[in-house]
Amino acid sequence: MSILFRIHQWFSFLGNIGSYGIAYLIESIIVLIFVALSFIALIYIFRKYMARIQRRIGPNRVGKFGLLQLIADALKLVGKESILPEGRDDMAYKIAPVIVMIATILAFILLPFGDLAYFGSLAVTHSKVTLILMFGILSIIPIGEILGGISTKSNYALLGTMRAVAKDISFEIPMMISVLAIVIVSSRSYATGAAITGGLSLSSIVANEVIPYGIIEPLGLLIFFISMVARASYSPFDLGESDSELISGYTTEYSGMRFGFFYIGLFGMVYLSSFLISVLYLGGSNGPYDNYVGFIYLFIKTDILVLISFLIWVSIPRIRIDKFVNLGWKYLLPLSMVNLVYAGLFVLYIR
Amino acid sequence: MSHWIELNIGPVHPATHGIYRFRVKLNEETVEDVDITIGYLHRNAEKICELNYFVNNTIYFDRMDYIDAMNMEVGYLRAVETLIDMEVPERAQWIRMIMAELSRIAARMVGIGALGLDVGMLTPFFHTFHEREKIQKIFVEASGGRQEVNYMSIGGVYQDFNDKIIEEIKEFIAGFKGKLEEMVKMFTDSEIFWQRNVGTGVLEPDIALDYGVTGPMLRASGIPYDVRKDSPYLFYDKVNFDVPIARTKDNMGRFLVKVEELRQSVRIIEQCLAKLPEGPYFNPKAKKSAMLLLKGQGDVFTRVESESGEFGVFIRGDGGVKPYRVHARSPSFKNLAVVPIMTKGSLIADLIITIASVDAVAGEVDR
Repeated sequence: MSILFRIHQWFSFLGNIGSYGIAYLIESIIVLIFVALSFIALIYIFRKYMARIQRRIGPNRVGKFGLLQLIADALKLVGKESILPEGRDDMAYKIAPVIVMIATILAFILLPFGDLAYFGSLAVTHSKVTLILMFGILSIIPIGEILGGISTKSNYALLGTMRAVAKDISFEIPMMISVLAIVIVSSRSYATGAAITGGLSLSSIVANEVIPYGIIEPLGLLIFFISMVARASYSPFDLGESDSELISGYTTEYSGMRFGFFYIGLFGMVYLSSFLISVLYLGGSNGPYDNYVGFIYLFIKTDILVLISFLIWVSIPRIRIDKFVNLGWKYLLPLSMVNLVYAGLFVLYIR
Repeated sequence: MSHWIELNIGPVHPATHGIYRFRVKLNEETVEDVDITIGYLHRNAEKICELNYFVNNTIYFDRMDYIDAMNMEVGYLRAVETLIDMEVPERAQWIRMIMAELSRIAARMVGIGALGLDVGMLTPFFHTFHEREKIQKIFVEASGGRQEVNYMSIGGVYQDFNDKIIEEIKEFIAGFKGKLEEMVKMFTDSEIFWQRNVGTGVLEPDIALDYGVTGPMLRASGIPYDVRKDSPYLFYDKVNFDVPIARTKDNMGRFLVKVEELRQSVRIIEQCLAKLPEGPYFNPKAKKSAMLLLKGQGDVFTRVESESGEFGVFIRGDGGVKPYRVHARSPSFKNLAVVPIMTKGSLIADLIITIASVDAVAGEVDR
């Protein structure tokens, strides 16, 4: 029994529509609060972790062990003057950071969080097409980046936007093709060989993932991981930002909390990409013993992936734009095609 | 018809370590033309030097290449001491050599760390600065200054090395050897670092000679020219060290030459520490009361090898207690001038790395 259904039962006196509406609302809020809390913890861990790698101490002044540093930073960002560049497209300038942040947060609601002991399934959405919805929402984020970059009429932002667009286009296709391979592999039950419907929903993909798909198709895992690094745009692929040549890329002209929104979008995307990789390739909420606490399994897998991402972030230099586009079109795209064919053959013959 | 935009790299920009401005004409990502504007840090140092007594000028030279202050002082004092015929005791010369090499290491740490920043790796920067910090602590122990040290003076050095300083230097050298290899591995283990440096910012040797490029840039173009070898000053002829060159002429060659020079600097310091004699650290002729009365007559031009290349100082004395004219031939100024040639037709990302590998210091460019 899912937590959604429980809340629905509590409010059943409101009628079907009312109670489900309230149930969705409450659970979304729970999920978002959870995401926000883990997000704060994540940034704290990131800063401490990065500081250790760089022979520094990291935040240790605000609160015990610097735990409140992020809150202090957020307050600082809110309190800062928002400097508006001249000659901007006002509407686009103001809406861009909001788009980026909301799209990132919204995507968390679609994740299949798995069971948590007594509470049952934590997943909010029980749609049959959450996979498509997920990648649909993810493709909203570049729109925010483009709007933010172009609306400010700054040359740095313009170049950063061009790079961000090139990045998104060249890595979107390999990513989607490797997801398609997942859909193909999950279209038949591993145990019985019977066809399974609902392969476009993340929950059913996870339900069928007895053996993690990362073991079945490691190539797909590699491609998807690289594409997700590009999508989250951190260090080797932070071309939209390119802080040494373009100052800050498309966020150059942003300040105060509007910049903070982009920042939230960036870290949220790191977290989300780790969630997606562990759901699609590492078995999601399936664990070694019992799926009764599947949520914990998912959480552990995700956090390990986040730490790996951070390690990549702090230790690898930025790739040049031409090499980067080459990587997308000349290597990842053909490899993802190979992976797709392999997935089909796997389902037909090996399974 | 080509569509181009003009991008300002500088005066205030993460890629210009110092203050100078590159007006870059960009065709999409390709650099079509680079126009360098300098002068943002011009402080009239040469003119001010004419108004002061000979002994007072070292501080203005400290502030030329402000990350390699010791070598600047060595450069100025070599000229002044030649002009006014001042003997320097042996111990003082060895001490100067140790300090010059330490300062070279400190300056390289900035340069290499900044190269890492520009490539997009934040991590090595902190590690290099950690090592630089140790050197600056030694400087504080010896002179009281971290960066603008004002340690050397006409006829010797400000303060003798005590046991503690020597111990600190030995400790630093012992730790630095392993640490250097670790830091270099951070760069060279990364495939992307090679991808971005190999074949970018190529400087042909004949162009380098035409423009008067010196230092690691010239050596990376395949010409083994080092003032320490070719016209030895202090006791550089009494120590063993090699002059590394690279034949690749590109940014990677420059990086590797700089790294190899760090190893050679360590070698030089070790030999200096072994040979450091006892004796006076200051020529008594240049005692405090007589310092302002030192007179110089004639023209002198001397050179030393600073971190960015051949640093020459010209001084004309008219027989008075103040120099008639002081001029510094600053290597950064000449090195910076070839950037447009090196980067024409390359990508903007290559331009940034080339600027970092040229390692020009604004204080020295503008003087």
